[in-house]
Amino acid sequence: MRYLLFCLIISVGCTSAPNEGSQKLKIVCTTGIIADAVSEITNDSCIVISLMGPGTDPHLFKPTKESLDDMASADIIVSNGLHLEGRMQDILHKLERTKKVIFLGEALDSETKLYGDEAKKIPDPHIWFDVEIWKTVITYLGDELLQVAPECTDPERIIAYTTQLEDLDIWVSEEMSSIPEPQRVLITAHDAFSYFGRAYNTEVIGLQGISTMAEYGIRDVTNLVDLVISREIKAAFVETSVSSRSIEAVIAGCKDRGYNVKEGGSLYSDALGGKDSGAATYIDMVKTNVSTIKKALK
Amino acid sequence: MNDFWIILTGILVALSCGLLGVFLILRKMAMVGDAISHAVLPGIVIAYLVAESRNAIVMLIGAAAFGLLTTFMIEWFYRRARIQADASIGITFTWLFAIGVILVSLYTGNVDLDQECVLYGDIAYIPFNLLWIGDNSFGPAPIWLQGGNLILVILGIIFGFRGLFITSFDAGFAGGLGIKTGVWHYLLMGAVSLTVVLSFNAVGAILVVAFLVVPPATAYLLSKNLTTMLWFTALFGIASAVGGFYLAVWWSASISGSMAVAAGALFFLVFMGVRINVILRQKQHKREFQFNTAKA
Repeated sequence: MRYLLFCLIISVGCTSAPNEGSQKLKIVCTTGIIADAVSEITNDSCIVISLMGPGTDPHLFKPTKESLDDMASADIIVSNGLHLEGRMQDILHKLERTKKVIFLGEALDSETKLYGDEAKKIPDPHIWFDVEIWKTVITYLGDELLQVAPECTDPERIIAYTTQLEDLDIWVSEEMSSIPEPQRVLITAHDAFSYFGRAYNTEVIGLQGISTMAEYGIRDVTNLVDLVISREIKAAFVETSVSSRSIEAVIAGCKDRGYNVKEGGSLYSDALGGKDSGAATYIDMVKTNVSTIKKALK
Repeated sequence: MNDFWIILTGILVALSCGLLGVFLILRKMAMVGDAISHAVLPGIVIAYLVAESRNAIVMLIGAAAFGLLTTFMIEWFYRRARIQADASIGITFTWLFAIGVILVSLYTGNVDLDQECVLYGDIAYIPFNLLWIGDNSFGPAPIWLQGGNLILVILGIIFGFRGLFITSFDAGFAGGLGIKTGVWHYLLMGAVSLTVVLSFNAVGAILVVAFLVVPPATAYLLSKNLTTMLWFTALFGIASAVGGFYLAVWWSASISGSMAVAAGALFFLVFMGVRINVILRQKQHKREFQFNTAKA
């Protein structure tokens, strides 16, 4: 019986080889944010695929059979790196032996990166919220793609897109500086916005830290409630890919002491929004976030 | 070929977990796997603090050490404190997990460090996790690890069959015969913890917990002795791995999730079959009884 099963598996396993019929170059990206960047600077002669869909927390991504086939048949894989993809990172390093794998985090030097743990030099992977850093990343990505896939990378589109990012960077700076400085405090559930805070002069306070395993304590909530009340902060924010419970606890805590802080809306942190959400591309996502922040804090 | 590696890994994990799971079920300690999946957290944090890296091997060593500690603590409380097995499991893993959570809050809150992102692998990545020696690849590395582990488990069961058999069914009786039950129990628990941690690293938590419990439980419904239970467990384990893989292809869903679903579905089918059989037999008895009384 067992031998029969074994034979069956072997015969089926070998006939269903991955389809390599299409002649187009296949670029597989780990997150939607990266896929958006790649499709902005390439032309139609390659296929761009994102492994993670809208709203997926990259730390908790579960691959399907389809994502496995995509990774196997990819010509180039583009990932964020800096441990954003968790255990998948090890696999990507192994895949480097057989195909081109680009780690966008490598575009940044050690001064540009922020560190969650200063002493041990463990970098914060959420690099895309500083638009200027993202522009550096796009330039790096463009150079890499021009080397390995010159036929589908368009230098003119790279220039056009980086110019767009420069404008976006200026726009975000202007919007954020229009919020009075004492109120320019971003309260969120977990620390995804450190780069944003540094680039746009905004204080960022995360209740949970970067790891979603670090539970917030009662004292954390009380401290945050004290801070919100003493500085008269108007809003706290939830994130689309993280549970909103902790922020609701802070809002309830303030209410108990007679201070009304409102929920400022949800920010896109680790993933793009769906097709009709108004945050389906990187630029739209940044704009949506900044508008949400400005509306709630001003 | 990729599909083949995944199914083979599924089968190897199903066999080593399932065969050990048989003895856990008999000892009413089926949830040890779930306990270990939580209790390794402090091991991961301490390994990170000592080695200052999130390298897969460092994490595996930390997790394996705490996996062993967990099973030994469970066994020790069970024997020394004379509390029930499930209570002993509950005390041990909640305590260790809570220590882990506190360690994360105190020392590593700003580093992404939990089982999910540093320890648990996913069965879908198996074909890419190749073993390279020089410029030659010798198939996926986890296959070698899991295969070696399975051979050890099978050898252990064959040569330790009598001891495991008696101490699992009736520890008191075994003690009366002069068999050292402690040695067998600690050996079994040690094997379980190492197999479980190794399998977490290869295929993730849910599949390991499922394979540890569900195929042996299904086999339990059909078996009257230990040997048939072991064979049925192997059969159901293989069927879940193969069936689950094709379910995952069909649904385009998580492969490990689908394998666990397949194992559960098999349990349900066998359970229904056994129930229907019992009801039919009762009816037949009734009819025979009525027929006999009418005749008399």
